[in-house]
Amino acid sequence: MRKIAALVFLVFVAFLLYGAYEMRDFGRPPSDMDDYIIENSQNETGANNAVTAVVFDYRGYDTLGEATVLFTAVAGVMAMFRRRDDHA
Amino acid sequence: MWSELIHVVIPVLLVIAALVAILMRDLLASAVALAVMSLLLSLEFYILQAPDVAIAEAGIGACITTAILVIAIKNTRRMEEEA
Amino acid sequence: MTMPDEGLSPVVRVIAAMLFPFILIFSLYVILHGHLTPGGGFQGGAIGASAVVMLIVAYGARWVESKAGEESVSVLESLGGLMFVVTGLLGFLLAATFLSNFLVGEVLFGEIPTFGSNPGILNTGGTLPLLNIAVGLKVIGGLASVVLIMALGSRRDAA
Repeated sequence: MRKIAALVFLVFVAFLLYGAYEMRDFGRPPSDMDDYIIENSQNETGANNAVTAVVFDYRGYDTLGEATVLFTAVAGVMAMFRRRDDHA
Repeated sequence: MWSELIHVVIPVLLVIAALVAILMRDLLASAVALAVMSLLLSLEFYILQAPDVAIAEAGIGACITTAILVIAIKNTRRMEEEA
Repeated sequence: MTMPDEGLSPVVRVIAAMLFPFILIFSLYVILHGHLTPGGGFQGGAIGASAVVMLIVAYGARWVESKAGEESVSVLESLGGLMFVVTGLLGFLLAATFLSNFLVGEVLFGEIPTFGSNPGILNTGGTLPLLNIAVGLKVIGGLASVVLIMALGSRRDAA
């Protein structure tokens, strides 16, 4: 079992190294989306920080989903660790 | 030249810190090594020009995860059992 | 372990009490300048939650609970979520779609910066500062209440 796990690990490491070796250069191939955001995000959202413009404006639904994930995590922790003083 | 050197040194230190975190038998030292790894990871994010991710990693990984692990270790045993 | 049962030594307590307002101010800076500088709601909220976590480690969970219970901290989180959704619905009512940026060009947060890299002015960004504040409240409340509940619950089981 350990040999199989080691083999899987080695194959995975080789895959990652091959992926890093074959990686394209930064910003290649050029896409229209980032050019559009760099050109227009300051005019459309009024924010200098293009990352915040993408996170909260162009991809606002994703941020809402992330907030939902955090809310679910807090609800789960509260359900697990809630002190039960009335039972204890 | 310096920036290329730092691009090599920080990942090597990152792997060393991760190995220390795995191999330590003292769990508290292991948690501290994990915090060091997290801080080095945030430094790596910063030199790869992603400051947003670096701030989030420094806050979550180096502070809150370490605090949760230390609270957990404080309420259980400190030493790892012989497997 | 030789660690004290509740909280740490007076040296750590004094230093933590001195550092706490500065970390909180830095967190509010990162949240409020999220549309100008690197960072934003999530990052600033993580920094603010780490300030609360430092108090929990230094003073013990019971002391922090006597100042602000986990119920009131998690109210902060729900308030942030509500503010996010209300801002999105206002975009739905006042402009075209859910979460559309209806404040660009208005008086509040409505100025448009010049193109290219510049230091920026605070009164820009449309709804982005409001959403940053909402997510910041949410993350501060969420992470702080998670760590507080874990510390309290695990300590009750050990005792």
